[in-house]
Amino acid sequence: MNLIVVFISAALINNFVLSQFLGICPFVGVSKKMDSAFSMGIAVTFVMVIAAMVTWLIYYLVLVPFNLEILEYVSFILVIASLVQLVEMFIRKVSKPLYDALGIFLPLITTNCAILGLALYAILNEYNFLQTLAYAVGAGAGFTLALVIMAGIREELELVEVPRAFKGAAITMVIAGSLALAFMGFAGLI
Amino acid sequence: MSNSAKIIIVLTVITLFSGGVLALLDNFTAPKIKAHQEEVKNRALRAALPDNDRVQEVTKGDYRFYAAYRGDEMVALAFEASGGGYQSELRLMVGVTPDFSTITGAVILEQVETPGLGTKIQEDPANKENPGWFMGQFTGLRTEPEISYVKNEEPGNDHEVRAITGATISSKAVVNILNEHIKKAEAAWNE
Amino acid sequence: MKEKPAIQEFIKGLWDENPVLVQLLGLCPTLAVTVSAENGLAMGVAATFVLVCSSFLVSLLRNVIPNQVRIASYIVIIATFVTIADRFLAAYTPEISKSLGPFIPLIIVNCMILGRQEAFASKNKLGRSLLDALGMGAGFTLALLVLSSVREVLGSGTWFGMDIMWASFSTWKVMSLPPGAFLTLGCMIAAANWINRRRQT
Repeated sequence: MNLIVVFISAALINNFVLSQFLGICPFVGVSKKMDSAFSMGIAVTFVMVIAAMVTWLIYYLVLVPFNLEILEYVSFILVIASLVQLVEMFIRKVSKPLYDALGIFLPLITTNCAILGLALYAILNEYNFLQTLAYAVGAGAGFTLALVIMAGIREELELVEVPRAFKGAAITMVIAGSLALAFMGFAGLI
Repeated sequence: MSNSAKIIIVLTVITLFSGGVLALLDNFTAPKIKAHQEEVKNRALRAALPDNDRVQEVTKGDYRFYAAYRGDEMVALAFEASGGGYQSELRLMVGVTPDFSTITGAVILEQVETPGLGTKIQEDPANKENPGWFMGQFTGLRTEPEISYVKNEEPGNDHEVRAITGATISSKAVVNILNEHIKKAEAAWNE
Repeated sequence: MKEKPAIQEFIKGLWDENPVLVQLLGLCPTLAVTVSAENGLAMGVAATFVLVCSSFLVSLLRNVIPNQVRIASYIVIIATFVTIADRFLAAYTPEISKSLGPFIPLIIVNCMILGRQEAFASKNKLGRSLLDALGMGAGFTLALLVLSSVREVLGSGTWFGMDIMWASFSTWKVMSLPPGAFLTLGCMIAAANWINRRRQT
């Protein structure tokens, strides 16, 4: 499978949010404003790419040779958690503006199932290193896309009379349903 | 005791405990999981290959062939074929006659298609007597000039199958995977 | 502060603080696996198992674990129990394990479970933590069961694999697909909001 197919499949056809249901919590929580949605998307993509590379290396260079696949989950989540901390410290040192833009989202990312999900799917699909990379970038792009579209709709929604019971999360879910329906149109693209 | 020493000790104890529990668990469940995978493979081979006395594994090129013998005569070859389905990868086990001209059987090893639609390639709840009718069609199918599919009508030729209504893409995916891999496997086998 | 009766810790999880409908936690598995009632139930039970076991251990160790590394410790404990659940399902119920796929390991990052450790088990006595975990687990399972039943009945005309709709019933395919999950959950959350407001007035 070539890299472009992996990328498109992760970004559109199997969109992480709208068809794989990964990263729903930030999708509901951080999609009220366009600019914060975009920052969150970039932060997640950033962590995804690094986490996917590191977990791939750990799995194939440490766990498989030593027959320790049973420790897959424990080691992945520990790596992701410490990675997020490292990235946070690194960004704070290197670039103040970047930290201001992404900083507050980083701690939230540890428990974002999209990151662990990505690492697990990359192993499950038996991707090689480059494919894993393409997969991570695609998944991140898809996540950002879904988040930004949602934020755009929700900004408009502020001006609309929504039935009281549906205010907040409920209407977000219903809109996500329509978006998921639209994204189904991408299936069969490859 | 200083705080950092305490942190290190607690974390070490917790991870050791976790590692120990999981090692025990692995000893206990790994054989069962492995046996189950063997069982799945053997069941697939029984479905893909005709009656035989023994099955021999041969690796050639990118393929692992399971050659079925009746006496000394090779009656069929089975191999795994995979490719993109509607949503993700489909993995099939397909058996063919030694000249690769006719399919002796094909089964799905793994699919993550759309529940209720694409999954009908494996099990169609609408057809109570024969829920596996779609894959069943491949048994005895000719592979030349190439396998094709028809929609909403009975297939007229011996190289055609009927696609599932509402799951055309999944049906097409199975056909494409078989066409592609039967050719490639034939090339690999004859090398 | 007056101690609430212990049973209250169990009951609040079922409705007032239902993790899915009210707190909106653990939505990813909720949406993803609820294609059939069987999957929904299996997911609920697996998550409850992990939640109860982790709460037990965390509550037991609450005075031992240093504050700075508490999250890391919780995660390791949770991940261990998740691996146990995953391997057991793979060994004894391979079909279910296959259809739940990576959503079993993803219980690790289910915010509901980590949230309960942080908010409750690390601060309360063993008994209460267990009741709280059981209540939250039951509330989670219940929400999953309702959601998956609606989706399976409308989407495939069956419930736990049994045909229950009349013969001419034409299935709503969209219910088995991702959009159906979002739509159904949206309506369930709205219904919960509506009922809660009714009760308050």
